[in-house]
Amino acid sequence: MAGMAASIFARNRGISTVQVGQVSEIGFSSGCLDLFSIIPGRQPAVFGNPFDGMDALVKKMPCHPYSKVTHAQIRRAFAQFTEFMGSAGIFFHGPEKDCRQAWNNQHIITPAGTLKPTCQVPAAMKAGAQAIAGNQRIGIIGIKGLKGFGALQMAKTLQSKGFQVTGNTVAFPGRETAGDLMCERLAWDLETPKVLQQFIQRVKPHVQQVDVLGLPAVLGIYRFEQLRRTMEHTLGRPVFEIPTLSPSVTGIRLKEAYLEKMTGLDLLHFPVTVSEIVQNKNAFVFSVTQGMESRKIMAKNLILATGRFMGKGLGVADEQIKEMLFDLPVVQPENRSGWLCHDFFDPAGHPVNRAGIETDDSFRPLGATGSVFHPRLYAAGSILAHQDWKREKSGAGISIVSAFKAVSHIAENTPAGPAA
Amino acid sequence: MLKDSETAVECRRESELLKRLAPQCIEDTGGLFVAVAKDDDHYVARFPGLCHRHGITCTPVDIADARHKEPCLAPDLKAVFHVPDAVVDPFRLSLDNAADAQKHGARILRNTRVTQFVSHNGTLSAARVQDTRTGKIFLIEALQYINATGAWADKVAAMAGAHIPMLYSKGSLVITQRRISSRVINRLRPASDADILVPGGTVSIIGTTSLEIKNLDDIRPTMEEVSFIIQQGSVMVPELAFTRYIRAYAGVRPLVKNGQARGRTISRNYTLRDHAAEGVKNLVTITGGKLTTYRLMAEKTVDIVAGRLKIAVPCLTAVLPLPPGKKGEWTEPGKSPRVWAAHPRPKDTLICECEMVSESMVDDIVDTLCAEGSPPTLEEVGRRSRIGKGPCQGTFCSFRLAAHLYRTGNLEGDQGVSQVKGFVNERWKGFMPLVRDRELMRLEMQEAFLCGLFNMEADR
Repeated sequence: MAGMAASIFARNRGISTVQVGQVSEIGFSSGCLDLFSIIPGRQPAVFGNPFDGMDALVKKMPCHPYSKVTHAQIRRAFAQFTEFMGSAGIFFHGPEKDCRQAWNNQHIITPAGTLKPTCQVPAAMKAGAQAIAGNQRIGIIGIKGLKGFGALQMAKTLQSKGFQVTGNTVAFPGRETAGDLMCERLAWDLETPKVLQQFIQRVKPHVQQVDVLGLPAVLGIYRFEQLRRTMEHTLGRPVFEIPTLSPSVTGIRLKEAYLEKMTGLDLLHFPVTVSEIVQNKNAFVFSVTQGMESRKIMAKNLILATGRFMGKGLGVADEQIKEMLFDLPVVQPENRSGWLCHDFFDPAGHPVNRAGIETDDSFRPLGATGSVFHPRLYAAGSILAHQDWKREKSGAGISIVSAFKAVSHIAENTPAGPAA
Repeated sequence: MLKDSETAVECRRESELLKRLAPQCIEDTGGLFVAVAKDDDHYVARFPGLCHRHGITCTPVDIADARHKEPCLAPDLKAVFHVPDAVVDPFRLSLDNAADAQKHGARILRNTRVTQFVSHNGTLSAARVQDTRTGKIFLIEALQYINATGAWADKVAAMAGAHIPMLYSKGSLVITQRRISSRVINRLRPASDADILVPGGTVSIIGTTSLEIKNLDDIRPTMEEVSFIIQQGSVMVPELAFTRYIRAYAGVRPLVKNGQARGRTISRNYTLRDHAAEGVKNLVTITGGKLTTYRLMAEKTVDIVAGRLKIAVPCLTAVLPLPPGKKGEWTEPGKSPRVWAAHPRPKDTLICECEMVSESMVDDIVDTLCAEGSPPTLEEVGRRSRIGKGPCQGTFCSFRLAAHLYRTGNLEGDQGVSQVKGFVNERWKGFMPLVRDRELMRLEMQEAFLCGLFNMEADR
């Protein structure tokens, strides 16, 4: 996410950019853009308005990545990001006016039957967030054999919170007897008009007593807007999607739309792993290999958006957490026994989650001496220290705003003309 | 083994009985005692004699031959002995016993805690108990009460006005992802930490530590214990230093205080106490001991109770086989994948992909649990199957299991969320102490789903 955002912002500024690395983690994405919701702690503080929350957060955690950005920068970063994604065919439903209150968090239904606060939802989830906010009658439709999506489980859990939700399960056309369905496969199937029509007919008996219909996110990989509209039109009800466990179709859509758009814009993207980067006087030099061809990349500025342990931006050696490319100093608990809490769901969050890279206000990593490690090296996204995006519900926000600020700094410090 | 002579003899006898009467629960692996270069020569020299004195057949094994049979053994061995040994599937043994008891008319109340005894003139007239899930309180009226509550024996006896001074010794163990050896491998030295590697089905278990604890409420293995076990174990089996582990766990040995002895020096023999002398006429406590002698412990206890009830029928458990029951069917590691592979049924959705447990296997377990009188929880289904015990440790399967239990009417309201949390935390307890490097990746993924996406920690 941080890498994607950085490429978008750099392109917007006319900076020549190369993106290197696997976009694997995006496959886990719910498709929503979280900004901020919760300050974890013994008594977690939940905020309806992300900016109210951030102000309180920065008071409590003065080194948090959000302490390095202004509200105006956050708004601009989100606007640029969503505008680009819109041009790639992914529309977000977020604040309609540019006032603080309009940014209040929305709530989406999750496959656990819980509600998750988030800042902006893809258009495909808008009707669901509105139905929750307006306490409308929601009908959730599950698919027989699609594991990890229990319509009845979600309905009963939400009912116990006072929502009007029913749950039903239908068989998927052509896959009636399958016991192991995957979302991505179903999404491909539904791109076929005949299958979509049959599917709609099976859902039809369940629309009578409901205002909106919720489905697992399987309505197409590419023509998802069109498929949803066809469905809404035929059934006469708004339809929304519910994000699923990985590999999630919502994440695949983001990735596909982004890559297609960027390829059209001539952004070079190498989905390869880089394990060594040399710094010479003027540039960071590394090679990327695609097929038989090996290319040398020389970059004046480098943004490290390598993620945490899953993305392999961070690793462990001798019980110490390490940054894997430059061996940057990592802020971390004193020793391994301080990494984790006894309760997996401890409201304060596991201390290891706040380990990461310390930076200056422009998101340039600090070296061992406490000064900037390299004047043109930046870090963005989940690799940053002092944040716990999973608990704060701040993942996309931290990625987008840190990338935005880093790119702004690069732009301001780069003389006009071909560079980077 | 060599310290408690009486225990050793009892263990040997009981182990022979079990092999004959409950063969479905026992794998007759044989065992090796191995000494590495730094172990005490004097102890090694005494070992065969000590075995002989306790009637244990102990055969010296050629070192090259031992390493050929068990390639995992360290290269610097200086002595190896073979002894008769076997491993028990404790899940299966417990469940088969429960099933057999039910067949003989016993009622088993799961999730039921004793809170108090009602007593008249030194005779207990009722036990007040509480269903820990529903909170319902009720009375169990009986003529005789047996307190067989393990480490909690003192606490329960105290409710009846009796007393058994006890020490609690926590022992931690670590489970490897694959089976390391065919035989039980013991370090040939005086009883110490991490000196035994026990195979069980598809895994091996290395342990144990011995740590005196005061509080029984939160028993868990620590990171330090796990590191120590792995480091010590790798002296006799070097690959333990780098093999993959799936879980650590801890149990408590109930040790009845006896004079000044502490820790490992306290007898591991069982304690059978008639509380009549303390003025509680119809309560007997049985605690301590080892799994191997569980049958004997039960026999001795019931003999006292039967005597008081003037029942003259002799105990037959040393003669009658323990029939293999249906309850323990799905606990065996490696069984569900075998069944699945032999009869793949595409319609039968796999709830747990790591251990290949399908919906129909779960339905089977749910039926058995329901027949015991109360609706099943996720944890209980987990305990009677391999669900959650594979590499995903419950990230995916806990939800699938919950969804399935809702569909089949076994879960209601918001029980699912709290039960998934309970299930994940139970797995976490055993995984957390193992987190060293690659495990952080899995934690990150698991948290990204459960907290990042599902907001389970904060949803109200």
